[in-house]
Amino acid sequence: MGNPLKLPLLLNRKYRKPLVDNRTLRYESTRRRILQILWNGIGFGFAVVWMIPFIWVVRTAFLPKESTIGTGWSWGLTFDNLIHVWQAAPFGQFFMNTLLVCSGVLVVQLVTMTMAAYAFARVEFAGKDFLFMLFLVQIMVPPDVLIFSNYQVLNEMGLLDTKLGIMLPYFASSFGVFLLRQSFKQLPKELDEAARVEGASRLHILSRIYVPLSRPIYVSFAIVSVSFHWNDFLWPLIVTNSEDNRLLTVGLAMFAKATESGAQWSDVCAATLIVSAPLMIGFLLFQRQVIGSFMNSGIKG
Amino acid sequence: MLKQSKLTALLLLVSIMTITGCGQSNNSSEVKKEVNTAQPSTTASTPETKESKKVEITFYYPVNVGGPLTKVIDGMASTFMEQHPDIKVNPVYTGNYGDNTVKIQAGVQAKQPPDVAVMMSTELYSMLDMKAIIPLDDFIAQDTDIQMSDFYPAFLEDTQTEDTTYSIPFQRSTIVMYYNKEMFKAAGLDPEKPPVTWDELVTYAKKLNRDGHAGLEIPGNDDSYWMFQMLARQNATDPKQNIMSSDGKKAMFNSPENVEALQFWLDLSHKQKAMPEGVIDWATVPTDFIQGKTAMMMHTSGNLTNVKNNAKFEFGVAFPPAQKQFGSPTGGGNLYIFKDTSPEKQAAAWEFVKYMTAPEQAALFSSSSGYVGVRKSAYDTEAMKKYTADFPQALVARNQLEYAFRELSTHNHGKVSTAITNQIQAALAGEIDAAGALKKAQEEADQALAPFNK
Repeated sequence: MGNPLKLPLLLNRKYRKPLVDNRTLRYESTRRRILQILWNGIGFGFAVVWMIPFIWVVRTAFLPKESTIGTGWSWGLTFDNLIHVWQAAPFGQFFMNTLLVCSGVLVVQLVTMTMAAYAFARVEFAGKDFLFMLFLVQIMVPPDVLIFSNYQVLNEMGLLDTKLGIMLPYFASSFGVFLLRQSFKQLPKELDEAARVEGASRLHILSRIYVPLSRPIYVSFAIVSVSFHWNDFLWPLIVTNSEDNRLLTVGLAMFAKATESGAQWSDVCAATLIVSAPLMIGFLLFQRQVIGSFMNSGIKG
Repeated sequence: MLKQSKLTALLLLVSIMTITGCGQSNNSSEVKKEVNTAQPSTTASTPETKESKKVEITFYYPVNVGGPLTKVIDGMASTFMEQHPDIKVNPVYTGNYGDNTVKIQAGVQAKQPPDVAVMMSTELYSMLDMKAIIPLDDFIAQDTDIQMSDFYPAFLEDTQTEDTTYSIPFQRSTIVMYYNKEMFKAAGLDPEKPPVTWDELVTYAKKLNRDGHAGLEIPGNDDSYWMFQMLARQNATDPKQNIMSSDGKKAMFNSPENVEALQFWLDLSHKQKAMPEGVIDWATVPTDFIQGKTAMMMHTSGNLTNVKNNAKFEFGVAFPPAQKQFGSPTGGGNLYIFKDTSPEKQAAAWEFVKYMTAPEQAALFSSSSGYVGVRKSAYDTEAMKKYTADFPQALVARNQLEYAFRELSTHNHGKVSTAITNQIQAALAGEIDAAGALKKAQEEADQALAPFNK
């Protein structure tokens, strides 16, 4: 997406430089540099604040049990915690299940939200605004409220204790539809019309114009969706009974929910690391795309 | 263009994978079911007809102590199945007590309850109001093996209401006082003589409040009514006084003795300066004790194993001190059997309950979890004798049982317990005085219980 206007503008500025008084220029540049250093310093400070808990978790996960509680620093390094935690629950199985559920939900969500968003953005039909309002209301209902009713529906469908049962209530995302509809609406209608003149069908227009141009929205929605389902605990716990169908968070809960015995920090941290590491590695691998997409779509947190 | 088609191809691949994956998981579970149903029919042709009657029951259990206690329970279930080849138990881990209750309630509403489950003893009335559980009196009357008199009476108290028994004690605890013997020595106190009365507690705590550590910590958030119950009983003249009626229909928070009890709690930090001010967090109290930030703490006996494994100093365990009498509420979960299943399943569930609470099992469970053994004879088993010989502190919670009593348990339990918990926290935070807090809690509780007193 090269903007041809940018080139002459840049040249113009370079050409004007010598005209400016040298001293003010230097003053300007030092001022700018100081400001930049200040900003970087603040940014760095915030990054440190965000990093401290994570570093603490990683550190404690590898500390020998004796030295976790205690305020002093210790150089001990051990894999015992990780091994102990790994053996206490079938984390391998849980990991595969989580991967399957997250990707399954995401794929279906992408299809349903594309269709729905296109309909709300570009198709005219009776009661469209009212229906869209209903969709928005759905965003405000926290999913935990629906646990009982969803459970009953799944029971009637015979889907209790299946992975499909975990996924089913999330197949349509009102948040995703809302996000994508806004993005579709911003695309110029002329593109749509031009394609229709060329004889493209609706599906064709959708797949060739709308979807590719909204890629950042898709990526950012995917991150929100995957991290939500990766961390979801109560619903999967309630729907499933067998270990064949349970997710990573259930394994984590075995260590984290110890109100009667006091927290075993080294175990909790090791379990947290096991559960969150795959997501973090994924983020590091796709870092550039992820950040780029958030810049484009303007989602925060 | 090429990039895009690659992306769509990838998406397609993933979707196919997940779809086939789902299909597979469904198929495999179906296949398993088929195998299960197919097996008896093939074995039915053989002379042994017992196999064909294999009863399958589901067992929900929460775990509230960190670590692999799930393995212990699963192991107990599998030895049960070895001894009872005609019963198959599916143990299901269900998170903590709260998650466990939500899961059970969802199941009850959908007519898919577990056959047997561990649940907080305080859920008795809400389960009765949901018509979810069955009385166990018939099983008890017909079965001589269960020996109800062998259970500690303090634990049986909350299994019963109006002369009917609805559950069997399983993972139980009480409040005990932990103290740091080294800090006792440093403060010139005899480490073998922990405080026995409230007055002693105050003088000890004041002496121990030095060198940058607190004298005493009592947790005040979450279920602070538990600690309040303890203080209220200790300050009561009537040896059977509790903060609710035994039929669960009346709360009795606001009495002069209870106000004194709460005032004593507040004074420990505000007047005597022996305890940190404000609401002290439940989970950080044991960590504070282990790190040496407090010399004494009141906490659940469930913490014994944690303190034993992590404290680097000698520590003692004692009864929480008495004002007019000793006292501690019990806590923890019992085994319940559910309605809406077949009589065969309920009978199998009873067998399982009986097995899980038999002396050997109770001893094994107590020694591997830190919970109190629920039966007297559990302490006569070899395993328990060895455990308590190595770790005599574990006996304190058991010895205290003669002074122990029922945890706050009423109809509409959520609202009633929240009312008292919130007001206690407000009082600890200094927003309201003791008398005002209990008056308000009483009003809220009366309102919540009004429908049950018509």
